[in-house]
Amino acid sequence: MENIDWGLKMTALGMTLVFGMLALLWALLTLVLKLDKEEEEPAEKASAPETSATSAEAEPSAAIEGNTEGAQPPARPTTINGLSADLVLAILIATHKHRQTMRRQAAPLVRAVWPGSQIFASRWLAAGRARQTNNWQPRGR
Amino acid sequence: MIDQETIGLLLKGVNGVTWQSLVMICVSFVLFYLAIVKDYEPLLLLPIGAGCMLANLPLSPLMDEHGMLRILYTFGIENELYPLLIFVGIGAMTDFGPLLENPKFVLLGAAGQFGIFITLLLALWLGFTRNEAASIGIIGAIDGPTSIYVSGILAPHMLGPITVAAYSYMSLVPIIMPPVIFALTTKEERAIRMPYSQRKISQRTRIMFPIIVTVMVGTLVPFATPLIGMLMLGNLMKESGAVERLTKASANEIANMVTLFLGLAIGSTMVGEKFLNFDTLKILVLGLLAFGLDCAAGVLFAKFLNMITGGKVNPIIGAAGISAFPMAARVCQQIAQKENFDNFLLMHAMGANAAGQVASVVAGGVVLALMGAG
Repeated sequence: MENIDWGLKMTALGMTLVFGMLALLWALLTLVLKLDKEEEEPAEKASAPETSATSAEAEPSAAIEGNTEGAQPPARPTTINGLSADLVLAILIATHKHRQTMRRQAAPLVRAVWPGSQIFASRWLAAGRARQTNNWQPRGR
Repeated sequence: MIDQETIGLLLKGVNGVTWQSLVMICVSFVLFYLAIVKDYEPLLLLPIGAGCMLANLPLSPLMDEHGMLRILYTFGIENELYPLLIFVGIGAMTDFGPLLENPKFVLLGAAGQFGIFITLLLALWLGFTRNEAASIGIIGAIDGPTSIYVSGILAPHMLGPITVAAYSYMSLVPIIMPPVIFALTTKEERAIRMPYSQRKISQRTRIMFPIIVTVMVGTLVPFATPLIGMLMLGNLMKESGAVERLTKASANEIANMVTLFLGLAIGSTMVGEKFLNFDTLKILVLGLLAFGLDCAAGVLFAKFLNMITGGKVNPIIGAAGISAFPMAARVCQQIAQKENFDNFLLMHAMGANAAGQVASVVAGGVVLALMGAG
């Protein structure tokens, strides 16, 4: 009986501690995410003036679409950080494919999906899921 | 010709066979079957089966003072090295992104630890000592390394059955979880859709997460520092991207090597004379109960969240608040799809599952702290 009393105390104390610590973690994470979000917003605002540059670039495109005489195609960046744009694109695709392969070949503990499972979905299903996961409704409404 | 003494020496192995060793060799065959044919946690159950078989062969030199299995046990189990190294690998493989996108699911991880304490009570009622009861209860964390770490400190003599129970039940997640979920939820509840709006998590937050968790848990529950410290070290290496070679080594080479050593060492503790007793059976039953109770508590807590949020939480994801990552989340997704094929709960369940990973380590540390061990 003495052991059971001790066990009940352990249960009450243990669950309180586990819940308390994880609630504290929740609060800390929420705070961190909030602070991080607030710092992101000015960055978005700062990027706003760039729209004028974008609109300036859009003009030649509009001129081409309107068959304006003497219109030139917009100048495209041919290099990015010293690498050609095609090479950067190839690296991007290769990295993405490599990540997918690594993910699929991972140990069963972390394997995202079994080959042939339903998660390897058809395009129709993928489209439906995308509609559910990438909804346009803002968070919290 | 051949004298009696020579015949005796030749038949020494055959004469050393006992019924217990034969039963344990059969147990090793069952483990082989589960690993190879059923594909249940083969990375662990196969080495455990091999260790069990090798340890139970008559007069096995591997179990001598300088035998390989004995050395592996002393090297990594007695001083808790293996589970901690495995935690580095798990941290390097785990993506806590889904949890960071929905931090409130941390509470589902906490609810998923309820089985630990109820099982502790049941074990005490069945006559186990306090240390033994706490070690049996920790099977409810559904986390192999945590179970090994805690039971290695509190009740090293029960390490074999506890580890086998923990890893066996982890591999049986797809069999154990669905009946509990179906029993506690209605068809309508299982069909609840949870829209998912992906939140962009900056790399800075991803790097801060392991640091914050380590400092917070390490300060409040110092007994959990080794477990949480190693788990978060692996995750910090992964998220920082600064030490890709170390991350890969932790997630692949080190994790694979330690898994092999750990499996063999654990298997070597399953020697028939010690393993075959009524207590082992009780531990296996209590472990199963702990798992079921964890799932049930998680589902009930998710039902509570569903009630207070006005029907916005699907109770299925509560069952994912355990540490079997990411299998528990996948099972939740499969069950949700059975009710509504278009329902996609995977990311929510992954959030709860990642929370369960952290919560199980915290629970392990809390148990050690309450027992005054470390």
